[in-house]
Amino acid sequence: MVVDVTRLDDTLRDCGRLLDHNKISTALDLATSLGAEYADVRLVSEITNSASLKDGKLERAIPGQQVGVTLRILADGAWGVHSTSDINSLSAQIESTLKLAKAVGARRSSKDLPVELAEVPIIQDEIHWKSQKDVRNTDLETRIEMMTAIDIEARDHEKVISTSTGWSDEHIHTELLSTEGMDRTWSFQRSLINGMVTAREDSEVVSYRFRHGGEGGLEQIESADLGQMGRDARTSVLRLLGAERAPSGKMTLVSDRDLTGVYIHEALGHPCEADLVQAGDSCLEGKLGQKIGSDICTVVDDPQMRGGYGCYPIDDEGVDTRPKRLIVNGVLTEYLNHRETAHRFGIEPNGGARAQDGLHHPLVRMSNTVIMGGSFRDLDELIEDVEFGIYACGSRGGQVDTGRGSFQFAAQEAWMIEHGSLTRPVKDVSISGMTLEILKNVDGLTKDSKLAAPGFCGKGQTVPVGDGGPLMRISEALVG
Amino acid sequence: MIPDDALERLMNSANKIGQVCEKANVTQWEVYATQGYGHSLDFEAGKIAMASGGGDGGFGIRVVENGRYGYAHLVDIGNSEKAVAQALSIARKSPSIKGFNLPANQDAVKVEGMFDKELLNIDSEMLLEQGDQLLAKATELDSRASIIGGGIGISAGVGAIITSSGIEAGGSRTSHGVGVQLSIDEDGLMTSSYEGDTSRFELKNLDSSVEKAVHWAQVTREQISGGDTEDCPVLMTNNGVTPLFSVVVPAAVTGERLVRGESFWSGMMGQSVMADHLNLVDDGRMEGGLASGSRDDEGIPTRRQTLVENGKLKGQLWSTRSAAKEVSEGRIDQAMSTGSASRGGHTSPPGCSTSDLILSSSKTTMSRERLIEEMDSGYIVHSVMGAHTANPTSGDFSVTTSAILKVENGEVIGALSQAGFSGNLAKAFTGRVILGDRSDSTTGSLHIPDILFMDGLRINPA
Repeated sequence: MVVDVTRLDDTLRDCGRLLDHNKISTALDLATSLGAEYADVRLVSEITNSASLKDGKLERAIPGQQVGVTLRILADGAWGVHSTSDINSLSAQIESTLKLAKAVGARRSSKDLPVELAEVPIIQDEIHWKSQKDVRNTDLETRIEMMTAIDIEARDHEKVISTSTGWSDEHIHTELLSTEGMDRTWSFQRSLINGMVTAREDSEVVSYRFRHGGEGGLEQIESADLGQMGRDARTSVLRLLGAERAPSGKMTLVSDRDLTGVYIHEALGHPCEADLVQAGDSCLEGKLGQKIGSDICTVVDDPQMRGGYGCYPIDDEGVDTRPKRLIVNGVLTEYLNHRETAHRFGIEPNGGARAQDGLHHPLVRMSNTVIMGGSFRDLDELIEDVEFGIYACGSRGGQVDTGRGSFQFAAQEAWMIEHGSLTRPVKDVSISGMTLEILKNVDGLTKDSKLAAPGFCGKGQTVPVGDGGPLMRISEALVG
Repeated sequence: MIPDDALERLMNSANKIGQVCEKANVTQWEVYATQGYGHSLDFEAGKIAMASGGGDGGFGIRVVENGRYGYAHLVDIGNSEKAVAQALSIARKSPSIKGFNLPANQDAVKVEGMFDKELLNIDSEMLLEQGDQLLAKATELDSRASIIGGGIGISAGVGAIITSSGIEAGGSRTSHGVGVQLSIDEDGLMTSSYEGDTSRFELKNLDSSVEKAVHWAQVTREQISGGDTEDCPVLMTNNGVTPLFSVVVPAAVTGERLVRGESFWSGMMGQSVMADHLNLVDDGRMEGGLASGSRDDEGIPTRRQTLVENGKLKGQLWSTRSAAKEVSEGRIDQAMSTGSASRGGHTSPPGCSTSDLILSSSKTTMSRERLIEEMDSGYIVHSVMGAHTANPTSGDFSVTTSAILKVENGEVIGALSQAGFSGNLAKAFTGRVILGDRSDSTTGSLHIPDILFMDGLRINPA
């Protein structure tokens, strides 16, 4: 049995604790007595609800609970890890996990530095971010009603052949205990609504996706004009039906908030992750303090940006989170890090450790990553001097090769910019480039920087993220 | 790694949940259960950075009442009464699908090669030795080469499905996987390659992933300046084409998408959708197949089904529910499960997808060298960035590649540092296509050889 079931539900509602602290403390003491330099146990319990409509009818609704717990042991300068959904088996894994760590440590050559952890404040506390409207109190009828509000508008056209609308909410409860005496419990919620509209004309089939949500409860979904979301999606997909393929080549790129966010996430955020820097897999290695972007580029990653989909109050090593200023006026000023990389680079831990869930160990990850606003008033001012370029909107995702510093991201829809005006819609736009070249080509930002649609980031583990910024102009980018 | 009685314990637990369903007077119920075990190691910066082990599992409950279904998942069977009640409550709010019932029990043929007992003998220390071997191999092949990411893992799992209609099936599976992210960083130029392999048996040639990664990190260092954007022949290696293929093609052959007009092959049953020598087969019974087994994820016996034959669309894939739904809504007169139900684990109800998918040609296939000669002039693409951004509805894609070689007069003349790569994969398959030899053509459950596309693709050098 993983945990006492009655206690699971009741405790999560009361924001209490699930781990048997006496047992875990005894297990951690055992690890120390056997030679561990450090050990921690992190439990994550998630109460989840997902639902979807297909063409306005309920397709699936899935309530669920997931519990996972991960034991990490640092010994002889190396990590051993054990993850399980069976918490009662954890104490029996101390010796075998310690043995794993020592076996890895024994392979370290003289040129390899041992893993050590930067010091952090040792804290015993509980932090619970309360939602305005606890999403666990939302019934299925409400979820259906809100998805339907989008769906009705999205499929109100004869060329729309199908719609799907989805819902996902989760209450995340985490407990962390360590041999250093860290004893922290925290919880928060995330809520998301999304969908896809597909339209067809003769043999041409196109689709358009949308998402809305963030950290918080039902209020996150209620804050959106759901009907308008459906109308906008319908308008976009119908526009794509008649759009030509985008031209290929180097040209000026103007991006909306969604794409600006994906760009900054892929092109800059990932190479700033200090575990990749440490692994020799980042083009930003050795570049702290150097100018890597244009003067107008200032980029912040902030887990405390409440409402962002990438929010979390405490990182998965128990470190308090804070905003990280990755680039200030074009100068690389900070890596995202966890305790191991903070020690390696001799810098302050900044709360960048995140794990997908209780069954995964923490990696260095982004949270809510935004480029700050600039001086341009609006889109019109941003494009008035552009002779030939492309205005790209909405994200279909992106990817980066952090070591080489090359990246790619794709837009949902786009318009050609000709002689300072938006002219015709185009589709199938992707943008690629090299981080260290293209950051210097950012030459225009509108004033208003905001988080865009929520996203998910994969790095072996998938975590929710927020990203965004203002409208952005890049003087030269490779399109197509 | 896996307890001897793991399957028995899982079946017992699933049966207990079934009893809760019975007690709640649920007429049709299904309990799907999984429990996984495994251990692995991670590479980082030319060394083994971490070793880990563990496992997880849980239960999914599907109930059906008058064509309405509900689902709930849990990790602790002590919570099953609540989960059954939740699933029932959802079912009563769901639309009724006429003719939708959970499948009846049918005899299934055992599929061999799902479990390798020998693999369980590879303990953590032996896995670490395999890691040492790969690290040494990289350096041996090229002193500049370093494995900067990836890892090796062994996993074993048990799964069970028990239903009110008499299905009571379970089984065990193993797998051995390796992934190598390797780079060569010298003189201000970094080139890299990711290669991997997975098998239900012990991988006998672990070194091959390192050998391929070193090769591609080496050959992409001979860089030449890019030319103009051109529509030209492109040879996509198995490694390059599989990620794009996996996004675009499997989605196109599900019955639901086909009859709803959501597939680029909608309305083309019996018509040409690929070059006339190409065949596409979905094989749920492939010995050792990573997506094969005796039964699908709702307990129906799997089968080997031709989807495209001599370029013509011949088949489509259905789960029990997707078939009943599309028939009841009048989009198709008749459809029934093809044993194609699949799910991402106990947390999700069954959907419909391909099993082990095989692309082949009735014409003579060619070695990679012969394909390059046949291409004469064009490009070889070995990996792409952004395959997930391809559009499965239309087949359009626009991605980036840094593993691209330029070919002139049948010979490789150098690599491009980066290029845009775009086209429509569905249309490209209707043009002149030549497949590579069958060897070295498997990536996971996709069995796709090298493909030379003579038409329809565009390279846009950076």
